Amino acid sequence: MSGLNRGRACAFAVAFLIAAALPVATPASTGLPPILISRQLAEREHLNAGDIVTLALDAEGTGSRRFRVDGTYEPTPDPLRFTAKRLEVRVHLPELVTMTEVRDDPASADALTAINVKLKNPQTADAFSAAVASRAPGTFVRPTARARDGSDPFAVLERFHVAVAAVTVLGSTAFLLALMVMRAEERRETIGIIRLIGISERSILLEVLAEGLLIATAGAVFGIVLAVATQGTVNQFFQWRYDTALVFVRVTRSIALQSIAVSVPLGILAGLVGSWTLLRRDVLALLGR
Amino acid sequence: MTAWGLAWRTIARSPARSVLAVAGVTVIGALLFDMLLLSRGLLVSFRELLDAAGFDIRVVAAEGSMVHRPPMADAASLAEAIARLPDVRRITLVRSDTAIAITAARSGGGTRVSLLGTSDLTSGSVWTLVSGSLLPSATAPGEVPVLVSLRLAAALQLQPGSSLPLRLFLPGSASALPLVSAHVAGIAQFSFEAADEYTVATTMEGFAAAHGKPADGVAEMVLVSTDSTQPGSEASAAAAIARLRPDLRVLSNDQVMEQFNQNAFSYFRQISTVLSSMTLAFAFLLIATLLTMSVNQRLGEVAALRALGFPRRRIAANLLWESVLLVGVGGLAALPVGALLAVILDRILREMPGVPGRLHFFVFEPRAILLHVALLSVTGVLASLYPIWLATRLPIAATLRREILS
Repeated sequence: MSGLNRGRACAFAVAFLIAAALPVATPASTGLPPILISRQLAEREHLNAGDIVTLALDAEGTGSRRFRVDGTYEPTPDPLRFTAKRLEVRVHLPELVTMTEVRDDPASADALTAINVKLKNPQTADAFSAAVASRAPGTFVRPTARARDGSDPFAVLERFHVAVAAVTVLGSTAFLLALMVMRAEERRETIGIIRLIGISERSILLEVLAEGLLIATAGAVFGIVLAVATQGTVNQFFQWRYDTALVFVRVTRSIALQSIAVSVPLGILAGLVGSWTLLRRDVLALLGR
Repeated sequence: MTAWGLAWRTIARSPARSVLAVAGVTVIGALLFDMLLLSRGLLVSFRELLDAAGFDIRVVAAEGSMVHRPPMADAASLAEAIARLPDVRRITLVRSDTAIAITAARSGGGTRVSLLGTSDLTSGSVWTLVSGSLLPSATAPGEVPVLVSLRLAAALQLQPGSSLPLRLFLPGSASALPLVSAHVAGIAQFSFEAADEYTVATTMEGFAAAHGKPADGVAEMVLVSTDSTQPGSEASAAAAIARLRPDLRVLSNDQVMEQFNQNAFSYFRQISTVLSSMTLAFAFLLIATLLTMSVNQRLGEVAALRALGFPRRRIAANLLWESVLLVGVGGLAALPVGALLAVILDRILREMPGVPGRLHFFVFEPRAILLHVALLSVTGVLASLYPIWLATRLPIAATLRREILS
């Protein structure tokens, strides 16, 4: 550990401590070390900037020290911990070390929970992790980038959502086909008359294609607009439910394009299939003769 | 002809359209059924897993939770005190750590394993012995007998009698202990082992020996089994344990479930609610559109029936039956399709790291079928309201005139 720049890597440490608030701000508070508290903790304990709090390592008051609240902060949303209550305090590292130091153990004053390292070349993260792990047994070293083997929880969730989306597309395709068949049936006589006056099947098919393209594009655009309009509501609900700033739904450009890429060809195909049944029939049969 | 018969004929008249509509309801219904299974699946599955372990009460340190369990001092003496309580049948101490298994079968830095120390030496609750023998009740000082999981045995080609070198680490220190040579007593299947985890279990003495220490009476969790034949034994035992050690947390299975329900499982419950609602809204829109288009195509027919003396009630019943047929057949077909889809979706979600191999996200419950039927029925009825209104309020003379002219 000594080879790594502790001070630079951990300017602040995040500690989960038991906070006991003394709700009176006094002039003497200016000499106390400053801390920042999470919004959630501030709301729960009704703390404001300038308040004095006592932090201890346990309910018995072990290692207790007084601090001055300098402000509140919104914890960085962590998808792995979004269900956890973020009751957190940020103290300067030397203050935390003083609190957690064990008298009989000189090494405790030089102990850390984690070190964050920013590499000059992020591509070497795997090699760097392996090198540190081999030099410091007992440490767990891992790159912050998502695992590429598809084993990280969000890759699994993504696969699940893609599977659900695929099923939805399958169901809606069946419905779309049913609607298009009905629509074609509605226009049976019209198509019969058009064919009787000499319009070629190819022209009719092109017209159906253009119509399908127009309807499918309009439907896809409407769907995206609806998703963009409702994403805020979905986010607000989940952010309220879990008291987090995490964004749960975001309609990105790539998602919008994917939706169009799936829905437009499906819409056109459904229109073509529906109309094809009519084009195959005899003209007189279409007119009921 | 009855309204039912008329509805059947209407549907049979356009087989392609009807088959596609039923297929759509089937797929959407299958998704709805799966979301209903997901809404309580984790809870039911986790409860089964907890109950199968055979313990009613779990004691952990007050600062910890079921996931993060700091060691409790004097756990062995606490276990002795708990054993003397009248309602208590069985007690097990549990400790855990991570270690690196070093074998010639794998190159590189070894295999990370979860080392479990336990005082429960019997098979059938937390683990099931597959081959070899159980952990011995008494061991020589320094000896580390272990049970390894099936997955680890397969990965490292271990057999009962094999030697398994383990490297352990001092907590809070960046240094390793000397290599410990564990002796594989048997191979077992562990209930709580995750798909990405390798488990090694040993006795409490073996656990301490692996750390280079004599047994110190420390444990992370005390599992207590009470006499289930006596009503209220669980509550009274929990209260007695809390009195013995007020500094610890005493949790019943219900309280453990509540903790997981509020935190770890809530996302899937929420997502299932959102997806169920969207599925129902989607089904409503599509069925309503199909029926409305169907009515629009048959306005002349409906007007003629009305002119012949068919009451509005029968027209409404006809459309309602049409909706019931489409939704009913699709909804019924959705059950086997949904079951198949649930297996696929469950397999995807169980790839999540840290999820016990025996935990399932989609679990069948009879109430899911009842809810599925009720929700689809309500949706079908609601979706047919507008087309019914359209058909029953139709001006007979004007519609017939328009039909003749067109």
